[in-house]
Amino acid sequence: MSSLEELSRRHEDQAGLAESDTVPRGAPILELRGLQKKYGLVEALKPVTVSFLAGEIHAIVGENGAGKSTLIKLLTGVIRRTAGEVFWCGKPVQLATPTEAISRGINAVHQEVVLCPHLSVAANMFLGDEMNRNGLMRKAAMEKAAQAVLDDLGFHLPAGARLESLTIGQQQLVATAKAAMRGIRFIIFDEPTAYLTRQESAQLFRLIRRLRDQGVTVVYISHRMEEVFELADRVSVLRDGTHVGTRLIGETNENELIALMINRSIEQIYHKEQVPIGDVIVETKGLSGPGFEDVSMTVRAGEIVGLYGLIGAGRSEFALGLYGRQPVTAGEIVWEGRKVSIPNERVAMALGIALAPESRRDQGLCLNLPIGLNINLPVLKRLSSGLTIRRGDAARNAERQIADLRIKTPSRHVLASAMSGGNQQKIVIGKWLSHGARLFIFDEPTVGVDVGTKAEIYRLFGALLKQGAGIILISSYLPEVYELADRLHVFRGGRLVASHDHRAATHEDVLTQAIGS
Amino acid sequence: MSVETTTESAPAPRKGTNILLGLTLLGLLLALWVALGFATNAFWSPNNISNLLRQGAMTAILAVGQTFVIITAGIDLSVGAIVGFTSVIVAWLLQAGVPLWAAIILTLLMGVAIGAFHGFGIVRMGLPPFIITLATLTSLRGIGLLITNGSTISITHEGFTNFSRADFLGIPSLFWMVILVGIPAFIFLHLSRFGRYLFAVGSNKEAARLSGVNVDRTIYLAYILSATCAAFVGLLLASRIGIGNATQAEGWELQAIASSVIGGTSLFGAVGSVHGPLLGAFILATINNGANLLNVNSFWQRIITGLLIIVIVYFDQLRRRGSR
Repeated sequence: MSSLEELSRRHEDQAGLAESDTVPRGAPILELRGLQKKYGLVEALKPVTVSFLAGEIHAIVGENGAGKSTLIKLLTGVIRRTAGEVFWCGKPVQLATPTEAISRGINAVHQEVVLCPHLSVAANMFLGDEMNRNGLMRKAAMEKAAQAVLDDLGFHLPAGARLESLTIGQQQLVATAKAAMRGIRFIIFDEPTAYLTRQESAQLFRLIRRLRDQGVTVVYISHRMEEVFELADRVSVLRDGTHVGTRLIGETNENELIALMINRSIEQIYHKEQVPIGDVIVETKGLSGPGFEDVSMTVRAGEIVGLYGLIGAGRSEFALGLYGRQPVTAGEIVWEGRKVSIPNERVAMALGIALAPESRRDQGLCLNLPIGLNINLPVLKRLSSGLTIRRGDAARNAERQIADLRIKTPSRHVLASAMSGGNQQKIVIGKWLSHGARLFIFDEPTVGVDVGTKAEIYRLFGALLKQGAGIILISSYLPEVYELADRLHVFRGGRLVASHDHRAATHEDVLTQAIGS
Repeated sequence: MSVETTTESAPAPRKGTNILLGLTLLGLLLALWVALGFATNAFWSPNNISNLLRQGAMTAILAVGQTFVIITAGIDLSVGAIVGFTSVIVAWLLQAGVPLWAAIILTLLMGVAIGAFHGFGIVRMGLPPFIITLATLTSLRGIGLLITNGSTISITHEGFTNFSRADFLGIPSLFWMVILVGIPAFIFLHLSRFGRYLFAVGSNKEAARLSGVNVDRTIYLAYILSATCAAFVGLLLASRIGIGNATQAEGWELQAIASSVIGGTSLFGAVGSVHGPLLGAFILATINNGANLLNVNSFWQRIITGLLIIVIVYFDQLRRRGSR
């Protein structure tokens, strides 16, 4: 028996997973009937009926905002369902708390690692489930056992190392090993390869197949079609909170899945306004700073400049440098024909640069403050007379953005945290529309946004271009920049490695340039 | 996608709960007063009421300053020490023959300087607010003791010491000082953009910065206001007890934090008001006053205060969770 199986058996014995709670391979282990989740008036997940079979790899695909994360949270007991029934091994269950989910053998590996960075790999793997003897921890034994599991899985990782000394990808493997060790029946992988190298992905795939062969049910959530076709036995598609179909992998193809996912053709979504291109707004010459080096590009009025690359390729860092958030160490910025230095964000705003940052949660919004305050934050100075804010003007400004952008909220006093991803993104955009600018930088504006809102955001780009603004559009989603950008720059390792005119290169070429060989 | 248009008359959940909390606290305060009125004869005597208002006034002013800091998700542990220290400063200046107006201004400037030092430690040196204000807490007491050589400085300036005993329109002058601080504080926090910036910084520093808020300046401002409020209380205390003594106001920082938290301020930042801490301070003062009148052992008063903090903040948490 391998050390992994040994440990998972130990855990099962301790957790007392009842033997009766098993079903034969191929029979439904978890069935959802009419599962539904509402946040206030917003229906994040419309009634979903689907069953997961013991010992299958079941992929779930869908656009951002399709309801995938809501589904995961329901299955792992993080949130409670509004309506519907859940059957585990044929019996109705609550799944009301994370503890209940774990005790039934349901685990999830999240995209972002949820481990303790200061503890060792072994300590993390055994966290909450330590080996004890006479009330004292058996550190050496745990480290040995953890190492055995890691070796067994083919992960070349030291069990004694501090977690934070590993790369994000390696940490993800540790999280996976931890989940795999816990005697699981059912494991959910939420976009696990987002931060992994190809080699690490291959190790992960081997582990996933092995778990399936042991009879574990694997739910695999991913954007990447090639992974779905490589791994999955069946695939379910979610769109706008609705379950639109489940297919056997052999009986479908990529085109059918994409059609199910977005329900409209690419041309309908990526509509680009044709605007005559005008004068140069900004030009960077050999700009360098933390995370980017020697970047030269120009943005003209009426033009969308796309920046494509993988996460960490230096696109967002370049944007933050241009916006004055990060110090620029070399090179120069020429703004409307004049050499300028941008030491901080306020100088950038005064010149006419607006930045809708990458992470709404961390950079874009004050989540526990009202929508209205968030929208008005960049323009409070303009809305003030002397010391006090003109409350009427502030209210009007917020209400206008809410109406123009069709932000779905009963009131501007609602906290930003109560909004869905798409509406939050609209708030971030609304901040900058009311401020006004000549150069708009949109960093990943459509992550976590449903298709309808995406199309609205793209239409908005058109309106900005017509007013003579220029746009820098940063995206990790190739079709978006590929279809929209007048000029597409590819970043890799902090450098600008290639530039193309609109649709001048193939998807494959751009991808290869971004990944490198 | 349905389009819901919004109207001016839409419900305002945030504001509503804010007012609700204020009314609950006011109700609690009045209930305490009524109950104590029945339980003791002395409570409603003019003497006791002015005493109560004087006791509460100083904590209330400290709590307002403290609230500015807590809204930015910080903490100012030094305010009690600043009160003691500035009482020494003003006594020293007055005894050295500095005119009253100059002594007051210099003492308040001392508060500004201490607050600016806190801002410097947090913004430039990157120290956690807890640490830098803890450090000034202990060192200010030390500096005060060095200046007085461990003893106290008596203030012989009659006008200065009479102020705290004086009444205006039948209300103690110390209580008028609460109004003097409270009204500008309300305008600053709730009506000006700088108040909004405090909330924004407490909610999400990075988002505030990228929105063009001068985060560093906002943090300086919060700590300077808190320390200046404390220096002002130092003046009031020196006037009330007629001496400068660096060991005075021991533990007042905790009273101020407790008042602020009872008044609905969230220690995680971005939630708070001016009226909440004021009510919180007078609730605490009433409990202490009532306990004295009822001859409750003063050790018990501390325990009751602790329990009260737990109960009020727990109910506040429940309410917040309920509104999600």
